[in-house]
Amino acid sequence: MSTDSNDTERDTLVQRLQNPATCRQAFSEVIARYSEPLYWQIRRMVQSHDDANDLLQNTFMKAWTSIDNFRGDAKLSTWLYKIAINESLTFLEREKKRSSMSIDDEDSYLINAIEADKDIDGDQLRLELRKAIALLPEKQRIVFNMRYYDDMKYEQMSEILGTSVGALKASYHLAVKKIEQYFADYD
Amino acid sequence: MPHNDILSKAARQSGMTVPDGYFADFQKRMEASLPEMPWEKQTPKVMPRTFWQKTRPYIYMAAMFLGVWCMMKMFDFMRPSSSNMTIETNPGITAAINNDAFFNDYVVPTLDDSALLDDLYEEGFEASDFN
Repeated sequence: MSTDSNDTERDTLVQRLQNPATCRQAFSEVIARYSEPLYWQIRRMVQSHDDANDLLQNTFMKAWTSIDNFRGDAKLSTWLYKIAINESLTFLEREKKRSSMSIDDEDSYLINAIEADKDIDGDQLRLELRKAIALLPEKQRIVFNMRYYDDMKYEQMSEILGTSVGALKASYHLAVKKIEQYFADYD
Repeated sequence: MPHNDILSKAARQSGMTVPDGYFADFQKRMEASLPEMPWEKQTPKVMPRTFWQKTRPYIYMAAMFLGVWCMMKMFDFMRPSSSNMTIETNPGITAAINNDAFFNDYVVPTLDDSALLDDLYEEGFEASDFN
């Protein structure tokens, strides 16, 4: 399908979301279309499937209850990603406070979550890569996940995260260097 | 393994999995749990009142009074026309009054003697005038 027809389809979906008569049906299509990419975005941030499942529900619930505030100025996907990332960051912050962790302990919390994760394919390299990513600073972690796993364009990342494209490129470059360093130390 | 190959070897896969049929199941659960929003409820459309709807009660009331008036007028027409006549213009009454027999039989007996005497007294007659 061409990009133009995708854009038209998205515009139609947004119009249907803004119409009370068709909103619920259109939102079902939103869930069908975006639940998977949003799930993986959340899952890569919080690592656990159960937490990701809860946060994905919260994301869609928040989007549904505030759909009348969505004017269609921003892209629908950008708006949903913003909600998902905010939900995930709030969750991590809450977990950090709940277990009285220091900032440095957040890494170990994520490492523990990765090691406890049962929903994996068993590939050791990929598991180590997840741990290397978990050790990155929060912003670098989000940027790396979006760029590497989702192959997201810097322009869209810029809209979601409110950071300049240049800063995002630098952030991604730094993240790659740190991951390479992690594996160098691992050897 | 060269460290810069790691990312290409991981092939953009995180190694994380989800239970079978998770996304299809999630969609169903999510759709079912969406609450009904206030803007979803159909509010009855309030139509503006037309001129006829606004004036109808007053017109009905005016029609009712007009009906009553017509009815009264109708009864008035149905009444005998003699009621409009005065004693002077009513030939029946004039004839009756001029008829001494009728007058004596029906009018005079109803007069009180003392009232007649009072009238005569006021007119200046004295009792001696009748002797």
